[in-house]
Amino acid sequence: MSLHAVLESVQWLFLAYFVLLDLIYLALSGVALFGLRRYMGGVSAAERVYSHLQMPVSLVVPAYNEGATIATSIRALLQLRYQHFEVIVVNDGSKDETLAVLQKEFELHPFPEAYRVQIRTQPVRGIYRSLKHPNLRVIDKENGGKADTINAGINAARYPLFYAGDADSVLEPHSLARVVRPFLEDPYMVACGGTVRIINGCTVRGGVIEQVRLPRNPLALVQVVEYLRAFLGGRIGWSAINGMLIVSGAFGVFHRETVVAVDGFRAEAIGEDMELIVRLHRKLSEQGRRYRIAFIPDPVCWTEVPEDLGTLGRQRRRWHRGLAESLWSNRSLCFAKHSGTAGWLAFPYFVLFELLSPVIEIGGLLFMGLAFALGIMSSTSFLAFLAAAFALGVMLSTTALLLEELSFHTYPKARHLSVLFAVAVVENFGYRQITSFWRLQALIGWLAGRRIEWGVMKRKADWQQ
Amino acid sequence: MVGVHTGPVLIVTLAWRSAEFAAASSVLLLLVALAIRQYLRHEERVRIRIVKIWRPLLTRAAIEEQEEPPTLPRLLARHRPFLMDEWNALQDAVRGGPVERLNALALRLGLDVEARKLMNSRHVGRLILAIRALGHLRDPGAWSVLEGQLAAPNALVSFYAAAALVQIDAQRAMPGIMSQLAERESWPGEAMARLIVDAGTQVASEPIRAMMLSLPPTKVPPLLPWLARVDSIVANEVAVELLRRHGDDAHLVAAALLVVLEPQELPGLLHFATSADADVRKNLAQTLGRLGGPAETGLLIELMCDRIWWVRYHAGQSLLKLLGTDRLTLEALRAQLTDPYALDMLEHVRAERATA
Repeated sequence: MSLHAVLESVQWLFLAYFVLLDLIYLALSGVALFGLRRYMGGVSAAERVYSHLQMPVSLVVPAYNEGATIATSIRALLQLRYQHFEVIVVNDGSKDETLAVLQKEFELHPFPEAYRVQIRTQPVRGIYRSLKHPNLRVIDKENGGKADTINAGINAARYPLFYAGDADSVLEPHSLARVVRPFLEDPYMVACGGTVRIINGCTVRGGVIEQVRLPRNPLALVQVVEYLRAFLGGRIGWSAINGMLIVSGAFGVFHRETVVAVDGFRAEAIGEDMELIVRLHRKLSEQGRRYRIAFIPDPVCWTEVPEDLGTLGRQRRRWHRGLAESLWSNRSLCFAKHSGTAGWLAFPYFVLFELLSPVIEIGGLLFMGLAFALGIMSSTSFLAFLAAAFALGVMLSTTALLLEELSFHTYPKARHLSVLFAVAVVENFGYRQITSFWRLQALIGWLAGRRIEWGVMKRKADWQQ
Repeated sequence: MVGVHTGPVLIVTLAWRSAEFAAASSVLLLLVALAIRQYLRHEERVRIRIVKIWRPLLTRAAIEEQEEPPTLPRLLARHRPFLMDEWNALQDAVRGGPVERLNALALRLGLDVEARKLMNSRHVGRLILAIRALGHLRDPGAWSVLEGQLAAPNALVSFYAAAALVQIDAQRAMPGIMSQLAERESWPGEAMARLIVDAGTQVASEPIRAMMLSLPPTKVPPLLPWLARVDSIVANEVAVELLRRHGDDAHLVAAALLVVLEPQELPGLLHFATSADADVRKNLAQTLGRLGGPAETGLLIELMCDRIWWVRYHAGQSLLKLLGTDRLTLEALRAQLTDPYALDMLEHVRAERATA
């Protein structure tokens, strides 16, 4: 095959890949648009009907070395506008004063709980109950990681639904009521997630978002657009066709018995949130069980994102590694009989356009850059491909901004919208390439069987008043 | 530099076209987003203005008997849905005379015509707005259009249609609602129970009893707790009858045990303690605590040794309910327990009571 034929094939592949990816995204955004319209139309009517009907929920909060923020986080959780819930804080063998802070702040006393082990975890050292808040319990266990910690919380949970999230996330006061609604509407619902928004730049008082602002840090600002694209475009679309393969680890509500029946979160998984969802799809479809995994577009949870390249890189490498592991360990879901949209559409999409995307993006750019540098590709061709890739990226981000405008208007000022549009353009020059590079590194590391470096997530928490 | 050949010319052209299309679409989408923002702001301003003008008028119309119809401000047809929303909210809060007075005002304002028009809307919010309004108006002429929405795929639309039909004629609405209730798993049961209780259970009890006893056993369990909220006496009668007919259906037995009301039924239920189904044993433990007396403590002690945590937990709770929390009594109970799991559970429920 001549050099030109190779070049032409790569160009076709590159273009076809981008166009197909963008068409899928646009289709998902279209589905999301209709889904959002329907959802928003029924929100107030639904709240009127369901306001007195709330399924009890166990809030499982894993905590590891959260001594500085744990008291504020738990106080905020205890203020949620919800009738019937319990909070189970699981201390994952913290090396700092997490347990001592909890004991002091909430008047914890040892409680002789008949703890039942439905999912195996690291040994539990003690169980405490708050004298101040009858619905607060604390489980102290040996260190075993986030998944193991949530599993201990699931063992102790009393209610049919449990929430699993991060101790440092800030929940909207109405979040539980909103996320439980799909369980009331559909008896086959097994898991439901919601939109996670970025807290950097906002102000929080008493555990409640007081003022929504865009972050000043450019890296955090780009992630605002990224999150909008991921949540409002992708997930609403996948949810509408029961093809959700991920419920964010920052906020998810699950049907307890179903999760126990599949042995809970996998302790050794890096992306335990995605792994559980893919496994639920696999196991439930294997059993021929009718089920639904859904997503609500409401901004239910606010989380801090990294503001420096080192932390962001580690996070993205970890996420991509988690994606690879989740898909690989549940590969039998792909094209399996009765696996529905999850096995026949979502799984192949995640392999082709999420897992392998850094290979195509970085590989394509390198190949074309090299071809251009060596003079076997004209500057017109090179520019045309860059322009197509960038413009399609901008279009997808703008679609997400439009969806946000059609629904929640989280960012109140017109200036916010203009800034976000500018960011949607600028992110194509450097940011997307560097995140693709990190993801490629993670993929290579996973294929080579290298161990993942966890590092420390640097949190500024300067939004807390 | 090597020139571009025929094949690549096509690809490059396609790439440029894609880029142009995407760039133009992005700008267009941004403009649409900005326009939507402006439109929504405008709509919100209009809504606030309508509420400010009309809320006092509606409230006055509801609470005061007026001899002369008041002069009403001008209302544009496109602003009627805002007013209808406000009017619906007030209707939800009042009973008796004010309902009639608000209805008379609605007819003067043409809200009935607007509601019928909105019944053709594909927007769920507007459709529900119209259904609620027609229900409040209690207009028998709207029966067929509302009945058509009873089977709507959207659970909320069908629920509100049921509510509107009950408002117009509860007796006539029951057969349709009952058949939907048996078919739909997505209806908000609690809200539906409140609706029927508000309409008067005498209207619903007989159709419900007939429906429950005619349903296949698999459909009954989710409806029993709902029935208990509507009419606990009928629920008890239905449960006893179903236990007699389908005592081997564990799912149904578990549901029925929780709605049995009469202590004299207990002797016929005790054999469920050996059921292979944990839900049956758990619910029996609860029922013993609810309906039993000191004679049932022996069986509860046996259930405290069950292999399932929830059975032990409810047996423990029921024992405390029957025996009280007196220290000596509990020490005597403790002495009777040899199973370590049962002992753990006793400590657990005692501590739970102490810290409650």
